[in-house]
Amino acid sequence: MVSTVTNSDVKQKDVDQAVVVAVTFAAVFGPEAEDGSTVYRLGVALPLLQVLQRVNERLLEKNPAEHQLFDVILITTDSWQQQQNSSIINSTRHHGLEISRFCFSTEDNYIESLVQNNVQLFFTTDGNEALQATHQGVPSALLDKNSVSCPSEQLRVLFCEKAIIQPNMGSTEASKKSAQNFLAHLGQMRQKFGVFDSPLCFTLVTSHGGKDSCCCALKSLRSLGVSVDEAYCLGGAPRGPILSLLRPHFLLSDGFSLLEG
Amino acid sequence: MVKMSLDAIQVMSGQVKELKVSPSSNGDTRGSWEGKEEFDPNQLELTAKPKPPKPENAVTVAVSSRVLFRTEREQKVFEQKGVEEYLRYQIEHENEPFAPGPAFPFVKALDAVNTRLRELYPQSEELFDIVLVTYNHAHVGIRLINTINHHNLFIERFCMTGGSSPIGYLKAWHTNLYLSADAEKVREALAEGIAAATMFMPEKLTEVSESQLRVAFDGDAVLFSDESERIFKTHGLDKFFEHEKENEDRLLDHGPLKGFLEALGKLQKKFYAKGQRLDCPIRTYLVTARSAASSGIRALKTLRAWGLEIDEALFLAGAPKGPMLEKIRPHIYFDDQMFHVEGAAEMGTVAAHVPYGIAQKYNSQQKMSSGK
Repeated sequence: MVSTVTNSDVKQKDVDQAVVVAVTFAAVFGPEAEDGSTVYRLGVALPLLQVLQRVNERLLEKNPAEHQLFDVILITTDSWQQQQNSSIINSTRHHGLEISRFCFSTEDNYIESLVQNNVQLFFTTDGNEALQATHQGVPSALLDKNSVSCPSEQLRVLFCEKAIIQPNMGSTEASKKSAQNFLAHLGQMRQKFGVFDSPLCFTLVTSHGGKDSCCCALKSLRSLGVSVDEAYCLGGAPRGPILSLLRPHFLLSDGFSLLEG
Repeated sequence: MVKMSLDAIQVMSGQVKELKVSPSSNGDTRGSWEGKEEFDPNQLELTAKPKPPKPENAVTVAVSSRVLFRTEREQKVFEQKGVEEYLRYQIEHENEPFAPGPAFPFVKALDAVNTRLRELYPQSEELFDIVLVTYNHAHVGIRLINTINHHNLFIERFCMTGGSSPIGYLKAWHTNLYLSADAEKVREALAEGIAAATMFMPEKLTEVSESQLRVAFDGDAVLFSDESERIFKTHGLDKFFEHEKENEDRLLDHGPLKGFLEALGKLQKKFYAKGQRLDCPIRTYLVTARSAASSGIRALKTLRAWGLEIDEALFLAGAPKGPMLEKIRPHIYFDDQMFHVEGAAEMGTVAAHVPYGIAQKYNSQQKMSSGK
């Protein structure tokens, strides 16, 4: 049985216009969270949560009546986590995280929760969870220890080939549509800021394809309303050094075309 | 001023120096960013279009969009109307390719050398790799890619940083040479140990070879350090000669472009190994104000000790460089003094300024020809 609890510490967003993202328990709180304490330490998702909050702040600065904001949900994905509900709520409030709702679900029904809550992007540290969610039409992004060193002032989104993220993370028609929807929202948010000093930055990295693949991606993203800020065409060069310079908060590969293969 | 006859002097080479391979200077490489294999072995097979080489094996030349192409009109829009208007203008003219800029013939010549290298060594990755590095926003990307395709340039790597410094990427790509229109960025690169020079568009362009790459270098503060130039600037010509004579057997320290000359030399040897010394598509020149019989000796001894061959060394003993360069017709000429760069440009040579050493203090003031 899934229960959804509102976080009364946080002002609720307009569900129709907000961009709902979900973050798993394991991403928000660190692995030591399972030692029985009632206030959990924060995990790899912290910079992401901070930066989403920052984007919201900047959007509201521009327009105090803005409704197209990020709406963050914390979701549990197994029964043990589901039972920690009060500790989870406590810890969230303790750290002052801008999480508007909690979805206490299990491994059997968390995807259903994602769909019912209109989640547009699902953040997890677990590759399997990401795969399953994508198959059910919910775009997913993986967080890991690299996420910890991302900046908290600017949300950096990286568009790249599927092969970079997870070679077998296939996309379905449903996830492609959802991804495009999400990208359109991102594009609209970005448009509200100028070229410089934007709290959002979009980067395209094509690793294997040549310049024509990159050109195709730029046009495809543009048709969705996403204007890319930075573009790197690696032409087969190792991507490690470049990625560690770029420090994206998450990578997206669904919803736009790249001339892969 | 002593007039010397301007004979070309061949420099004998010694040991072969290894190509500079700098280890990744990015500190810790995070394992998880690497993901699965970087290279699919199957993809390394030759297909119709050649694959770009791995950066550490290649001689990487990074050029900015403003020197590869002519973008004066767009620059004006940026300066007069601001960045938003500039980007809008670029997108509007997306299908109009840019015209070639000062670095264009140089890049075409690098491509020609690559074609010859691939013929002789089909599996080798020791090639020139050209990377387009620009501060531009990716909005300009489509126009740049269209232009590259229009001119049939083989550039498969680029870097559009959207305003942030590209120095980190230059280092990640093991850049051997960086050419830009912006002196500030060039200085930044030099400070990080990357050979770099500022390029300018000459008013007229003399025709250069399409089949043989010719690169000319000044000596002091370019190939060599500026130690001798300092003596000349502070104590005058006589003291300079005295100092050079006394230190004839002491090697000069290296300058910012020594590594690039080394890289060229290594590629040249690949042609010699296949019996193509006379027909080599790379030719290097030293064009210095030093005199052959006196101060030039130290320069030659240093080059020999470094194991660097230079095809022609021209000691001008203070004579203007313009006419000599006009005869050589290099694709690019590197000098640390704006006076010489401008002089070369007046005669149609593409000259690049290396903002290194003591001469930078005197660049604006020095208008008289200097004799060494």
